[in-house]
Amino acid sequence: MIHFDNVTKVYANQNRPALDHVSVDVDKGEFVFLVGPSGSGKSTFLRLVLKEERPDSGVIQVAGKDLSRLSNFKVPHLRRRIGCVFQDFRLLPNKNVYENVAFALEVIGKPRRFIRKVVPEVVELVGLEGKAHRMPDELSGGEQQRVAMARAFVNRPMILLADEPTGNIDPATSIGIMKVLDRINRTGTTVVMATHDAAIVDSMRKRVVELEDGKIVRDQSRGVYGQAY
Amino acid sequence: MRANFIFSEVWIGLRRNLTMTVAVIVTVAIGMALLGVGLMINSQISTMKDFWSDKVEVSVFLCKKNDPFPACKGSGGVNAQEQAALSQQIKAMPQVESVSFEDSAHAYEVFKTTNSGNTVLLSAIRAEDMPESFRVKLKDPDTYTAVIEQLKGAPGVSNVVNQKEILEKFFALLESLRWAALVVAIILVFAATLLIGNTVRLSAYNRRRETGIMRLVGASNIYIQLPFVMEGVIAGLIGGVMSGVLLMVSKVFLFDKVQVYLANTVLTWETVTKVILITLIFGVVICILASFVTLRRYLRV
Repeated sequence: MIHFDNVTKVYANQNRPALDHVSVDVDKGEFVFLVGPSGSGKSTFLRLVLKEERPDSGVIQVAGKDLSRLSNFKVPHLRRRIGCVFQDFRLLPNKNVYENVAFALEVIGKPRRFIRKVVPEVVELVGLEGKAHRMPDELSGGEQQRVAMARAFVNRPMILLADEPTGNIDPATSIGIMKVLDRINRTGTTVVMATHDAAIVDSMRKRVVELEDGKIVRDQSRGVYGQAY
Repeated sequence: MRANFIFSEVWIGLRRNLTMTVAVIVTVAIGMALLGVGLMINSQISTMKDFWSDKVEVSVFLCKKNDPFPACKGSGGVNAQEQAALSQQIKAMPQVESVSFEDSAHAYEVFKTTNSGNTVLLSAIRAEDMPESFRVKLKDPDTYTAVIEQLKGAPGVSNVVNQKEILEKFFALLESLRWAALVVAIILVFAATLLIGNTVRLSAYNRRRETGIMRLVGASNIYIQLPFVMEGVIAGLIGGVMSGVLLMVSKVFLFDKVQVYLANTVLTWETVTKVILITLIFGVVICILASFVTLRRYLRV
């Protein structure tokens, strides 16, 4: 599903590469934790998958497509198959829960009938039934992140990228978030989650890829966050 | 493509930076109006040239008794022999198409009709005061210099007037007016482009949250950019309609007033409509281009 072959990315004005000859494979339906300290290249990895950045060398394939051969015109179609969740939720403050989720479908031109059918289902899947008409500022952090997950998942992506989704949320609420991610993973969606949260990684017992200074230092199935922390 | 989604976004965008939108509309309106005036003067010049080209004559005025013209000093007026000789000489010229003789009475009639409003002038001038003349029509109105050279100073001739020369001075004035209007129009169009660029930039900044999410969920570039371009187009359209109104006003209160002095060269509504259409399309195209160019810089897709 995601294939990195010897990928190196150096940002302009920086001499140290953000990713240094990284090779990794993520299969369809896998759940992968991307761990490592700040600046270790986790976010760069996710941005490369979205083709928000271009690698300086190496090959990236997403869903069987070589990203270097994907024209800019087709990048939106790639992104429709990838859902994204961030630490800061990125909801539209002037739209309610339903509208926030529906927005993701409206802007890719889905018919209204389809939106009316699908959005309530996804809102229920993330555990927000009955809160569809709340505004984001009336929701807790955990609930806001559920809205963001609903928006990321509503178009049934093949891949869900989560960049520290529990970073702004207390540990108790984080468990609920992880349950939703697990539920999404069980529908067959590949999930890649970058995180600092050792407790969550340890409790989930999923594959762990650890990055340090842009290099993969550990790739372990059913791993834990690591003894060093 | 969901039209109502786009339009609600456009409406929000226009309302959010209303002052900039108004600035764009006013600049586009005035710029396009000046461009239109330039085009209208242009078409006016060509219809007038067409109208006059087969009517311009070289007038050969003859000396009267006590004529003040230096060429007539002491001649005591043209005599019949001189007049016949002149007529022969003009007819023999290869450039001449036809020639007619205008006597004092006829000249006075023409004078009366062209100055019908001016009673003081009419009462002061009598038919005998009007000079007699040969009206010479040329095969090619541009070959007047040789004709004038030959006839000036011939016995009995007081003065040779070429209407084309007078018209050309008038056309030169119109042409400089046209250039002035076009130059100011170009400057304003330039200002409008910059203003639209700025509006789009502000708009893109105001809506960076929405566009960020749109990018993330895979909205196509056109879907992301269209609301911004439409903002430019709508501002350009409103400006264009306003310039159309300004052009119609200028036709009624400016061109129609001037036309009174230039018989038969009416600026038709047909021309005005054409000019309005041209300026409208031009304005909208400018807006689209300016929006796109700025979007490429300020809206990462």
